[in-house]
Amino acid sequence: MQAETVLDGDVLVILRHPPHGSSWLREGLDAALVAAAFGQAVSLLFQGDGVLALLQGQGPGPLGQKGTSATLDMLAMYDIESLFLDATSLARLGLSTDSLQLPVSPLEPPSIAALIAGHRLVLTF
Amino acid sequence: MRYALLVQGAPYSSQASHSALRFAAALLARGNRLECVFFYHDGVYNAARLAAPPQDEPHLVDAWVRLNEEHGTQLQVCIAAALRRGLLDEREASRHGKSGHSVEPPFELTGLGQLIDLGLGVDRLVTFAP
Amino acid sequence: MILHILNRSPSSSLVYRDALAGMGPEDRLLLVEDGVHGALPSQVRHFEVIGDRLFALREDLVAHGLDGHCDASVQVVDVDGFVALTEEADKTVSWF
Repeated sequence: MQAETVLDGDVLVILRHPPHGSSWLREGLDAALVAAAFGQAVSLLFQGDGVLALLQGQGPGPLGQKGTSATLDMLAMYDIESLFLDATSLARLGLSTDSLQLPVSPLEPPSIAALIAGHRLVLTF
Repeated sequence: MRYALLVQGAPYSSQASHSALRFAAALLARGNRLECVFFYHDGVYNAARLAAPPQDEPHLVDAWVRLNEEHGTQLQVCIAAALRRGLLDEREASRHGKSGHSVEPPFELTGLGQLIDLGLGVDRLVTFAP
Repeated sequence: MILHILNRSPSSSLVYRDALAGMGPEDRLLLVEDGVHGALPSQVRHFEVIGDRLFALREDLVAHGLDGHCDASVQVVDVDGFVALTEEADKTVSWF
């Protein structure tokens, strides 16, 4: 299955921050949605604490602070289906792909480098 | 080569603006062209027209404006990130019923789509983040 | 070749690991801002895997008082060299 994974596209958005503590994740996802709306082939890589964005059962923050899980549910509608995570980041947090809300392909370092090399534009958030 | 910069750090809070301005001067000195600086995340504060730093610190807002005047570099600010943070030009201020505005030309409020266009259109996009 | 730009010190942030995970065999890493702390002999081992593809920005080393404390394995470039590295690269990726 890993061999069939497509590691190239137009825009790669790397998400390294968890929800709520900062707006990096939200604003990064906004950039991905806009790129997709402009007709670009967009891939997402969740890395570092960014993999926490994928956990099931997230809610809004204090005072109605918007979460990001609703946005993740919208990705398919925008044809953003190339979703990857850094397997090492997930393992470091003691989590497995079973606890995630979306089907995401885990990648090891050589494939992460290939993913970055395979996109014309790479944006990190 | 044609360059664009993405600035994501607020001035005086992080080094991002200083680093980006230093890089801008160096790339121009090497004969490259700087098409645009795009401000996103807390970088939108670079467009705050009321910034009043003390005399012994560089005036970063003025430095961006000089870049525009001397090299024709566009200064584009993500409108969604800016409005949330209280950065409105005259048009947005009046649209939202505010009595003053905090962004003025040559900074322009624009959509995030511009960033994607730039990133795919120029030869090099370099990000300066906090 | 891709130029990766890192502005965090390995002693305060683990983002350097993500940057290294994203680097291909020809890619280069430039340390800037607080990232130049990684050029200290005590820190440089974190970047062992990339060998001589590690660079640090002179202006930031000088500002931090680290100009004379840089490990010999690190290639020091000034901001003009920074631009040259971006010219030589296919693209750049910033890690923060």
